[in-house]
Amino acid sequence: MSARVFVCASCGRAVFPRRLLCPDCGGREFRDEQVETATLEDFSDRGQVKLGAVRAPSGPLLIARVEGDPRRGGEVSLDEDGDVPVARA
Amino acid sequence: MVERSNAVIVGAAESPYSRHPPEGTTTESLLADAFVRVLEATGIRREEVDGLGVASFTLAPDRAIDLAWKLGVRPRWLMDDGNGGASGIQLIQHAMRAIDAGDAETVVLLSGDHFTRDDFKALVDDYNRTTAQYLSKIPHGGPNALFAMLTRQQMEVHGLERADYGRIAVAQRRWAGLNPGAVYRDPITLDDYLASPAVVEPLHRLDCVPVVSGADALVLRGPGEGIRIRALRALHNYDGQEGDGLRTGTAEIAGELWRDAGVGPDEMDVISVYDDYPAMALAQLNDLGFVGDGDLSGFLRRRIEEEQLPVNTSGGQLSAGQAGCAGGMIGLVESVLQLQGRAGERQVEDARLAVVTGYGMVLYRYGACANAIVLERP
Repeated sequence: MSARVFVCASCGRAVFPRRLLCPDCGGREFRDEQVETATLEDFSDRGQVKLGAVRAPSGPLLIARVEGDPRRGGEVSLDEDGDVPVARA
Repeated sequence: MVERSNAVIVGAAESPYSRHPPEGTTTESLLADAFVRVLEATGIRREEVDGLGVASFTLAPDRAIDLAWKLGVRPRWLMDDGNGGASGIQLIQHAMRAIDAGDAETVVLLSGDHFTRDDFKALVDDYNRTTAQYLSKIPHGGPNALFAMLTRQQMEVHGLERADYGRIAVAQRRWAGLNPGAVYRDPITLDDYLASPAVVEPLHRLDCVPVVSGADALVLRGPGEGIRIRALRALHNYDGQEGDGLRTGTAEIAGELWRDAGVGPDEMDVISVYDDYPAMALAQLNDLGFVGDGDLSGFLRRRIEEEQLPVNTSGGQLSAGQAGCAGGMIGLVESVLQLQGRAGERQVEDARLAVVTGYGMVLYRYGACANAIVLERP
């Protein structure tokens, strides 16, 4: 289980979501990087569903669907539901 | 230093905001109403209008040219702008230069939206490609959950409590009570604010703008009598959505803005900041330099609550309502009315200088657009 972030093939800068050009070097090619665990920086609880701000080790912040019992600052495992990142506390 | 424009704002008007507009209301009917009202307010004839700019989410598939046709205007300068909460100042940034250059002499800027329930859901879910692809399928349910996180972070960083935000909501409602055009006018107390139902913690109902139908209009002309534009600055996408979201692009442009204007925050008689949420109104007040020492809580208590600093004197979007793209023009219309001495019961005495911010376009995590303008009654 993992979620994708996108890494510039030229300079290694990671982004999420994917950009058209690398913010740092302007490179056009990105490769997928699979991320298995991340830090849950924050979340908000909509009742039926929780949204989280999840920091991948390589830098990008992902807005994810959060499952389980989240704790701010805690580690989450990442998965994907289609394009949507899913963070499991 | 950016060269100051010689264009002036000669008029402002609003098509009344409404939570439940009459049957048959459409986006174009609201924009047309704002157009007619601003011509009435200025005494300008339709035949004199040779520039038209429009900002709307729901006018599509029509554009400014469709509106020009149906309004019977023959523009030499024509512009569409869909940049939401930044669209009003964005339109002025272009229109004033068109007037300076001689492309047009009399420019009407219109902004407004009418939402059905389906329209609004479509706007929220398909706000941009990123939202449609990554957020709406969470489902994120619109921007509330994102701004709930931003608000909570601001509370943590600055030691704020919900009651601190309540001072903004209460103050704006007090102003709204003096504005016959505001959709919510009954006074609220801090206790009412705290007791309003939760939407997404820490946001409660009175932190979230009521969606309304409505439209706003401005008229700009070449040198002459009118409200002067002392300074206008913009910076969009300044941090690539990779910052904390609590420092907006306004922070980056504030120094240039005040330098261009030759005045500072303390000299402002009227202040309009884009208030999609109290946290963002506060962030922009801080970015503009109104807070000074960085004590946000003290600022809210002293300046907003006790001294009744004239911020969002129409009631702002929080009380007057958010009519889609008109949210980017409501502060401009209010500031122009104040500087013209036409603000009725809520008139700020002898108002001469105003600052207005635009903010918006939530690309992924928070608003990417930021602009600000300083207006002056000569």
